[in-house]
Amino acid sequence: MSKVKVATVWLEACAGCHMSFLDIDEKIVELLEKIDIVYSPIVDGKKIPKATVGVIDGAIGNEEELHLAKEMRKQCDIIVAWGDCAVFGGINCMRNFSDRQSALEEAYVNSPSTVNPGRVIPHEDIPQLLPQAIPVDYEVKVDVYVPGCPPDSETTLWVFQELLEGRIPKVPSEKMRYD
Amino acid sequence: MKEITLTIDGKICKGSEGNTILEVARSNDIYIPTLCYLEGLTPIGSCRMCVVEVERNPKMMTACTTPAQEGMVVHTQTEKLRKYRRQMLELIFAGRNHFCMYCSQSGDCELQDMAIAHGMDSVRYPFLYAGFQNDASHKDIQMDHNRCILCLRCIRICAEKTGAHTLDLQKRGWNATIVSDLGRMLGESDTCTSCGACAQVCPTGTITLREFAYRGRRKDCDSVIESVCPLCPVGCRIRVYVRTGSIARVEGISVTGPDGGQLCNKGRWTLPRSSERERICSPMIREGSHYREASWEEAMGLVAKEFGKAHKADSDGALVSSLCTDEELALFASLFRDSLGMERLDTFDGNVLRGFVKGFEPFRKQGIRPFTAAHNILESDCIVNLSADPDEEAPVIASYMRVATLRGKASLLNLSCKKSPFEDLTDIDAVTPSPAENALLIEGLADIAGGSGTDQEKVSTVATKTGVSEDKIYGILDALAKARKPVFVLGGCLSDKPEAITSAVNLAIACRSFFADGIGVIPLVVSSNSLGAINTALAKESWLGKKKLDFLYVYSTGMVPEDEESLSAISGTRFVVVQSPFWAQPLVNLADVLLPAPAWFERGGHYCTIEGERRHLNVVVPPKGEIRGLSSILEDLSANLGVKPGKPEEPPCGNLFICENPPANARMVSLKEVRD
Repeated sequence: MSKVKVATVWLEACAGCHMSFLDIDEKIVELLEKIDIVYSPIVDGKKIPKATVGVIDGAIGNEEELHLAKEMRKQCDIIVAWGDCAVFGGINCMRNFSDRQSALEEAYVNSPSTVNPGRVIPHEDIPQLLPQAIPVDYEVKVDVYVPGCPPDSETTLWVFQELLEGRIPKVPSEKMRYD
Repeated sequence: MKEITLTIDGKICKGSEGNTILEVARSNDIYIPTLCYLEGLTPIGSCRMCVVEVERNPKMMTACTTPAQEGMVVHTQTEKLRKYRRQMLELIFAGRNHFCMYCSQSGDCELQDMAIAHGMDSVRYPFLYAGFQNDASHKDIQMDHNRCILCLRCIRICAEKTGAHTLDLQKRGWNATIVSDLGRMLGESDTCTSCGACAQVCPTGTITLREFAYRGRRKDCDSVIESVCPLCPVGCRIRVYVRTGSIARVEGISVTGPDGGQLCNKGRWTLPRSSERERICSPMIREGSHYREASWEEAMGLVAKEFGKAHKADSDGALVSSLCTDEELALFASLFRDSLGMERLDTFDGNVLRGFVKGFEPFRKQGIRPFTAAHNILESDCIVNLSADPDEEAPVIASYMRVATLRGKASLLNLSCKKSPFEDLTDIDAVTPSPAENALLIEGLADIAGGSGTDQEKVSTVATKTGVSEDKIYGILDALAKARKPVFVLGGCLSDKPEAITSAVNLAIACRSFFADGIGVIPLVVSSNSLGAINTALAKESWLGKKKLDFLYVYSTGMVPEDEESLSAISGTRFVVVQSPFWAQPLVNLADVLLPAPAWFERGGHYCTIEGERRHLNVVVPPKGEIRGLSSILEDLSANLGVKPGKPEEPPCGNLFICENPPANARMVSLKEVRD
């Protein structure tokens, strides 16, 4: 049997969800015998290839992330929203209470730890910030939701086992967490 | 009450007429999810989690507000209901800003539990991202409106149990928020009593107590122990959460009891904070201006030596706290009074207690209990405040008074030499120039009310003597005559004049203020076990400060400050032993020998509270290190003194003011009996 192709992408989020893949511990070896990670922050690849499962970690906060989310949807059969940021928007939504410009000023000019006498806000050659940070399913259809900050390793493993069995999992209450 | 039978989820359930569907379900062990519902508070059906389907009724009904009816067939767990409940939860999440990962209540949150239980893995509605205020203006209580689900539990407990009604609702729809005092910040509220009940009942992280945030979620605590708050005569039952050997939070017990599960600001903060105070960890002996650590052997040897000398010269005494348990007080009485024949044993609040005992004595002789359980205030339709300041003396009593006035529509009269502490709620405020006129006023009112018909001459005499206008006196008499069940709340300061206390009971009898357990009088004694102290440690007469003593054994629980008079008498004593759990200033500075003592959370025993119950104080955290229980210390001391005290008598508070005769048989007495 050929390995199931999996693509993962890290959008607007900390690295926690991707890191927590490693919390599966030794079972990751077994899992890797069944899946082939074709695209991910931890593998080299310029373009998202076709894959069966696409895992999106993080909210959508800028144009690049929006593009990646749409590419993932196009290339993958099943999209998994991974972690609170992808499912609910998460901590990134803190900026949704002010407009884009003031959020940028807060980050690059006004915050007490910043020294920026020229009041320069980076804007060239970087993706444009969207007006709000949004959950993934605002822009693309999501098939599997796995909330958690990050999701428990058990839940991670369970979701993959279910997917490998050919089922679309719905995380049950006892495996779900929001923090 | 008529019994009714209905079917819930196929199970035949019995309930009483007037029960809601939810009440019948719960009493039959059928679970219906709820968020806004809290037993003991008025149900409002705002969260819609408890919706159920009733056959032959096309609408879904909220179980918490729908009366159960004979023959109803109710379904609580259908697929349709689950769908609707999840939808409600999604709407709640979309409407406000519920981000569990940075909320202090995550893991201790009813909303989170509910959403997870309903398998809410995403929210199908657009988040509103409307910014609400985080009101951090109060020094202890934080109110982050972003996390509010408008269950209104806080508003209801504040109005229905605390009686402060600080909180209410403003605006409409998505913009509705909890508001304090018509739009003030919580920290600037002048009605908030800082009791923290709102935070105790908040199902989310909206209202939190800074003190307890991040100190351990309720379910992560190692143990939860019920005990009694020692700080005022009510003796509220408390639930103490312990995590890794330290106190994580203190809460009231349950909203269903008359006290509404509330704790006042004293209990809520003083108790947990005391667990962080500096302890006296081992015996200490004074050397000049310092203390040095000593062994128990050495310290007890020195105490016994000094005590022996002073005892021979009849120049010894012991002063103990009435925050001690019955058992502890009995130990003191057994050693000092019974074995050593020392008459100078008293409690710090001895004078207050003697005043009340003297004032109550003529009624005790009649076999009548001259007071009633404090929560009976809630049943009263006319509350008379006699020189009391309940918000200071016993805040939960102040809550009862406010609730009875606000909800039960009771009238509130203030007869005092100070302005009424309940300014906006007082119907008649009869302020006299001094306590003497206040005593005359109570006496005069009892006399007139006890007579047949209102004697106009007597009224004008009382008015002249007390400086209270005739109009007010007529008003008071009228209110009392109309009252079905008046109660009289007696301030501790009345104990200066025992005849005023007798007059107050006379007045209560004249107004037929009779409750099942006694006459409708509530004496605000000092601590949870002041009544117990009357049985045991209380001296017949005051001796403190009468004679310069050579030896004084002082036992303080360190929880309430010692009064000036006691302190000055202590400082005038040649050799002072202070036993206290904490470095309680200034008392510890007056000691020649300091002995450690178990703190409130390390002791067990019983309290005799003015609620009329003997309540059990449990050990919350076992004492560590050199801290020993009182009995083993007193055993040591007895051994050093060469005496063997007998087993202390069990002093049940039932012994005190037994209700032998029905209160309605009480008769008024002449003040001569008390004045002699």
